[in-house]
Amino acid sequence: MTAEVLTPDQVAASLDSGMTIGIGGWGSRRKPMALVRAILRSPLTDLTLVSYGGPDVGLLVAAAKVRKVICGFVSLDSIPLEPHFRQARQAGSIELTELDEGMFHWGLLAAAHRLPFLPMRAGLGSDVLAINPELRTVRSPYRDAEEFVAVPALRLDAALIHMNRADARGNGQYLGPDPYFDDLFCLAAAGRRFMSCERIVPTDQLLAEGPPQSLLINRSMTDAVVQAPHGAHFTSCAPDYDRDEAFQAQYASAAADPESWAQFRGRYLDVDEAGYQRAVAQFGRDLAAASR
Amino acid sequence: MTEYTADEMMTVTAARALRDGMTCFVGIGLPSAAANLARARHAPNLVLIYESGTIGAKPDTLPLSIGDGILALTADAVVSVPEIFNYWLQPGRIDVGFLGAAQVDRFGNINTTVIGPDYDQPKVRLPGAGGAPEIAASCREVIIVLRQRERTFVDSVDFITSVGFGAGPGSRQRLGLGGAGPQKIITDLGVLQPSPHTAEFVLTGVYPGVLVSDVQRQTGWDLQVSAELAEIPAPLPEELAALRALQAASAEGTEA
Repeated sequence: MTAEVLTPDQVAASLDSGMTIGIGGWGSRRKPMALVRAILRSPLTDLTLVSYGGPDVGLLVAAAKVRKVICGFVSLDSIPLEPHFRQARQAGSIELTELDEGMFHWGLLAAAHRLPFLPMRAGLGSDVLAINPELRTVRSPYRDAEEFVAVPALRLDAALIHMNRADARGNGQYLGPDPYFDDLFCLAAAGRRFMSCERIVPTDQLLAEGPPQSLLINRSMTDAVVQAPHGAHFTSCAPDYDRDEAFQAQYASAAADPESWAQFRGRYLDVDEAGYQRAVAQFGRDLAAASR
Repeated sequence: MTEYTADEMMTVTAARALRDGMTCFVGIGLPSAAANLARARHAPNLVLIYESGTIGAKPDTLPLSIGDGILALTADAVVSVPEIFNYWLQPGRIDVGFLGAAQVDRFGNINTTVIGPDYDQPKVRLPGAGGAPEIAASCREVIIVLRQRERTFVDSVDFITSVGFGAGPGSRQRLGLGGAGPQKIITDLGVLQPSPHTAEFVLTGVYPGVLVSDVQRQTGWDLQVSAELAEIPAPLPEELAALRALQAASAEGTEA
């Protein structure tokens, strides 16, 4: 099996409305933002997102692409709560299944292992069980007879991740300090596993920048690769670049007011990926000029 | 006597609660300031564990987020987030976990999810659980740190995100939660500890100049007062100096 090399818009065109889509990264870190932006430009709608959520969830919610969010949190890290997510929940406009981070991990792992559930202690006695009646408990069949939360498998129709490097065959590498759970998102998906990356390199160059264990994703786990330089912007993609905190702050303040949001959308989102990257470069130049 | 703020008093009190050699699960903000103050003063062998996977982090400035590079660079070991949850937390290998809250009730149950009665259209949506339920379930003990106000110390939380003593004595055992649960709530007015008989939090310490009636006015339940109520000593000049040095070094790092 060999992956295809696609553009972000081709990835969006390969997805269907109503799908359950897993998105890798963590909060505002190494999110496949170029792929998310392509979905914003697409006619896709009625999506269920499964994510350690950040601006990926916020942008798709703001664009009314989302029916339901399944998450451990939706955060911008340096800004604790994603502003579009907060607004949507306070307005009652999206469904939510919120698990804590550990339950969410267990759900991905169960799906990756093709198990219906995995048992865990956290969550017992909390209102997470009260508001999610579909979450059940299970009793140990052994002598301890302990009761656990049976965290259900988070099965995905598609997965989107962003890596530092990849080859054209679908092998992927992270060079930063944290793999997050990107391998599990690919393994939990039934198919349509899309990996964007900062740079596609020849296979024999994959070990030029990192050790073998940095090859988190292998080609049995992916269906297509996208070269998307700066494709995680404005989230971090260490060591290639840090989070663009100034841009994120502007994003968050624009989200607070419909008029500013319309301006933000016009400048950054109602354009193609190249247009986005040009507008971001201009934002950086304006910022540098203002601080001089 | 040196002047100090209520937040400094709270941070110093939290630092004093940590003993040398403990393993301590730390969040960003006040818990991180308290843990690093303890490390700088009386607990040089405190093992700080941050959720991002750093074990034995020794930052000389306060990290801005759990992913801050200073944590990994100074750690004894860096492991994956799943390992933190499944190997360190769940089996009870961590002595003490610090938790903040938007609301806490008389049994130390914590809400960080929503304010208001309607979960699906809350008055205020909060950040949610994060990893707090694992910390609350499995650390050998938990210390809760938050400012004491009538709207935060409530008779019944709007949402139980992380379990303290549940509905009272015996709840944790019935639920199979391995840790001892919250052993202290440290506030900007004093310290509350659970009654061994009722599991209800009672006032066991107040700061200099704070009246019991002040604390009771800022508590949404009928706060009982321990027979052994203590006045907690004001921060020592050395404690304040160490805390302010840590914060100044961190501010400098942010501007650089």
